[in-house]
Amino acid sequence: MSLTASSTMRRVSLRNLAAHKIRLALTVLSVVLGTAFIAGSFVFTDTLGHTFNGLFSDVAKGVDVQVRSQQDGSSGVPLGDVERIKAIPGVRAVEPEVGGNIVLIGSNGKKVQGGGAPSEGMSFTPPAEHLGNPINFTQGRAPSKAGEIGLNSGAAKLAKLTVGDHTKVLIPSAGTYDVTVSGIYSVKTDTGGYIGALFARDQALQLFTDGKHVGVVDVAGAGLSQTELQSRLAAAFPELKVMTGKEVKDEAKSDVDTALKFINYFLLAFGAIALLVGTFIIYNTFSMIVAQRLRELALLRAVGASRRQVSRSVLFEAIIVGLVGSVLGIAGGVGLAYGLRSLLNSFNVGLPSGPLQLEPRTVIVAVLVGVVVTAVSAYTPARRASKVPPVAAMREEFASTGSSLRKRTIAATVFAALGVVALVSGATAKAGGSAAGMVGVGALALIIGVLLGAPALSRPIVGLVGSAVAKPFGPVGRLARTNAVRNPRRTAATAFALTLGLMLVTAIAVFGASAKRSVNALIDNGVTADYIITGPNSIGVPIGVADAVAKVDGVATTVSLHPVDVKINGKDSEGTGVDGDLSQVGPVTILQGRDDLTGHNILVAQDKAQSEGWQVGTSVPMITRDGKAITTKVSGIYEHNTLMGPWLASGELYREVMPTRSMVDFVVLIKADQGTNLATLRTNLENATDKFLVVDVQDKQQFKGEQAKQINGLLAILYGLLALAIVIAILGIINTLALSVVERRREIGMLRAVGMLRGQLRRTIYLESMLIAVFGAIVGVVLGTTFGVLFVRTLRDGGLDHIAVPFGQTVTMVVISAVVGVLAALWPAIRAARTRPLAAIADI
Amino acid sequence: MSQPVTTPGAGAQDTDPVGPRPSRAIAARAINLSKIYGAGDTQVFALREVSADFVQGEFTAIMGPSGSGKSTLMHCLAGLDGATSGSVLVGETELTGLSDKKMTQLRRDRIGFVFQAFNLVPTLTALENITLPMDIAGRKLDKPWLDSVINTLGLADRLDHRPSELSGGQQQRVACARALASRPEIIFGDEPTGNLDSRSSGEVLGILRNSVTHLGQTVVIVTHDPRAASYADRVVFLADGRIVDEMRQPTADSVLDRMKNLEQV
Repeated sequence: MSLTASSTMRRVSLRNLAAHKIRLALTVLSVVLGTAFIAGSFVFTDTLGHTFNGLFSDVAKGVDVQVRSQQDGSSGVPLGDVERIKAIPGVRAVEPEVGGNIVLIGSNGKKVQGGGAPSEGMSFTPPAEHLGNPINFTQGRAPSKAGEIGLNSGAAKLAKLTVGDHTKVLIPSAGTYDVTVSGIYSVKTDTGGYIGALFARDQALQLFTDGKHVGVVDVAGAGLSQTELQSRLAAAFPELKVMTGKEVKDEAKSDVDTALKFINYFLLAFGAIALLVGTFIIYNTFSMIVAQRLRELALLRAVGASRRQVSRSVLFEAIIVGLVGSVLGIAGGVGLAYGLRSLLNSFNVGLPSGPLQLEPRTVIVAVLVGVVVTAVSAYTPARRASKVPPVAAMREEFASTGSSLRKRTIAATVFAALGVVALVSGATAKAGGSAAGMVGVGALALIIGVLLGAPALSRPIVGLVGSAVAKPFGPVGRLARTNAVRNPRRTAATAFALTLGLMLVTAIAVFGASAKRSVNALIDNGVTADYIITGPNSIGVPIGVADAVAKVDGVATTVSLHPVDVKINGKDSEGTGVDGDLSQVGPVTILQGRDDLTGHNILVAQDKAQSEGWQVGTSVPMITRDGKAITTKVSGIYEHNTLMGPWLASGELYREVMPTRSMVDFVVLIKADQGTNLATLRTNLENATDKFLVVDVQDKQQFKGEQAKQINGLLAILYGLLALAIVIAILGIINTLALSVVERRREIGMLRAVGMLRGQLRRTIYLESMLIAVFGAIVGVVLGTTFGVLFVRTLRDGGLDHIAVPFGQTVTMVVISAVVGVLAALWPAIRAARTRPLAAIADI
Repeated sequence: MSQPVTTPGAGAQDTDPVGPRPSRAIAARAINLSKIYGAGDTQVFALREVSADFVQGEFTAIMGPSGSGKSTLMHCLAGLDGATSGSVLVGETELTGLSDKKMTQLRRDRIGFVFQAFNLVPTLTALENITLPMDIAGRKLDKPWLDSVINTLGLADRLDHRPSELSGGQQQRVACARALASRPEIIFGDEPTGNLDSRSSGEVLGILRNSVTHLGQTVVIVTHDPRAASYADRVVFLADGRIVDEMRQPTADSVLDRMKNLEQV
């Protein structure tokens, strides 16, 4: 093949692209949306990673070695060891660090909302003893005595506090304290929403430790390498963990990297969904372009172009579209990352600011994915193009008769049948991971089956919906209905983009509804308390609240629940510590043994007992976080209770096991005296807990509402991301309609000639689009509901023991799809209505 | 085929004798009609000051060489295209200045069309295609009339078929039925036999001829086929955007001779 031959074909391709700008724009747009998400997720996480790396250059600066306890979450390093470390030869200086979570109260008397960033209190080390960069106070001075705090400038701004202001801080394990802002400092790690309060060392020790420990000890060496100092200290303190400054830095970095990776994969998953949906649109577009250019392609064949040249010219067009689309997609991705960061920052999530990072990897991946997906989507149409017989150019009309759907439908039936078998066996199997996997495989097979069978399905479904919805529109409705199934493959491919999007949305909605119903049932059945006292998620209910409410008039029983973290048989295990008479507020059903929670007795849930092989009377050895070994004994076995967890311990055991600084109440449950006016009690409880600032008094309904709100928040994020898939699906409908309107130009002209009004023509196309959208929506909603229900079923042992299908929401989605279908048709319909009647006769 | 087929050339003369009938009303009229495409150096005159009357109950064929303006004249008369100057009347209605909506309604209610190709909506059945103009007008069907049209055209056993299941001749007969079913004031045909073999052409032209003869329908077709023109009562010859001649009671031979002369000019 000569160079000129291929360049001629290329010129035909390029001219063709240029001649159909709108068609081109819509196709490019579908590539842009898919690749933008992929590029955006990389840019977003790269930027965060880069900025965090910058921040970490300061972590552990000047620290050669850090000494900490072996176990995370323990009391820390014994106070006495600080002096002993200092005495080791080669140690130049030590700096003990203590700290913990706090709640800062702003100038308005309310909790300062820091978003997702840490809110912590720390000890202030005077510059002379401080390792690393000195803390730079921009206003006022460092805290020098109890009751004074230094605030980072970001937190001061959030809290609207300035030097000299009086406010409060709340330390969950210690209580509420009045403080005065003595100074404001600037810090590199001052990300949006971060709160860092510095306390004078003595007060910090009192607030954040039991008075006998410090959190960690930073050590600076004198003329020794980090590793030499590390081994020297490790030998001297075998019960403690000694890390080099570099290790500390790396550890902090890898924690962030792990979190970023998760975000990246999460966003990439949505990019993949967007691209998958986009694939259908690209495929559809190229199929239609080829169909419309049949005569032109046949002419090329007639004048001597080979099959390969024809298919290559179509593929070449696809590659250009893919290239342009992904380059624009990268630009869109940068914008997306920027927007995402601004959005999150407006919620004070605590993302550091820094220049957006566009790595070569991002560009390569986005372009590669965009081009490959476009080329693959165009492959089948390109092959079809090459099969155009040259004689087609000479025929007046070359009807692109779609080949029979039979083979396709048979394959669809096989896939669907396999899918159903897998779904049924997954749903009836014992709940758990393998059952969920089975359902996943079945879902995939069924989706493929439906994708293949969609053209065959489109006739009956569109016919049914059409006769219900389009009937009142008379002949316009009839035209719309028949147009919608005129080319079943095209209708199916157009609708399938919407199907995929709505399938995911519906499945998630089923999850959400089931989770809410399960939580509600759990609270309804498992909680008999009149009031539930809760605190912020990050800190729980502060110490002291339980005592305060117990004294309120009309309170019969107060029960507080605590976390009990230990190691059992070398594995981490979290039980629930109980103070008070549980049977009054959240009874568990004892199956064996006695309901005896005293001393070192524990109660164990039946499933836990079974899996561990424990019975009533079994001794269960536990290792505390501080490394202490204790032995507990199973006094009773209770029915599985998601609310209470795998095992229950007494309050005494909890206090014995948990380090002071980790002590917290999950919730405090309250049962009123009989005959007490609950409304009055509520007021009294609120008054009693007022000074704790962050606690809420809720009845069962409110508590349920609170849980539902959290689930809804999670759902909202997923819906937001899936909205992208829906947007692409809508673009697909616009694209298909716009192209088919062009394709049917002469027919439309004829309709206009014999007297169809512009309005009627527009209405026909609105209805046609609506029917395609509703077809896609119904299939998507049915699939999504099925998958959602079956997945929830496989998780019935994990707390999702109630299945709920949000029918109202589902119907709403179908209705919205219908509206969206009409909106998508606006532009194509207006274009179609502009068709001049002469188009039926003359090629103008 | 069950419907009567008129022999070409003879039919027009055998039946209702035609001639100048000034007593009859005018179905459509062009007055000083000009149509100019483009501007400046590239200006093309499709029609130059054309005036013509089309009498009710008459079958007229418009003929002329390629580019003579014959199609443009028909498009303007049928309300499919607007003229640059001059005016068109359908019955008493002046088409110049009609809104798109009024123009569409006029085509729908008062004019019938038979095109060369793309006559039918591929997704509708034959019957649905026939009743389409009345359906979209929301008009009640005249059932006995419809049945008689369908029977006359021999379409009774094809009503449930889609266009793709019909032959070209059958499709064109469906198109004729559609034009006749709404009893328009005037039927326009744009090369209605252009895509048909001679047998099917004869059928279609016979249908149009009969509708004029027996029902008093007014028909105007554009054609380049002298045989098709021979079915007409009158042939109007166009050349270079002007009416250059007119012939009554044409035969295929006389038309052919005239056309040869025209092309030599």
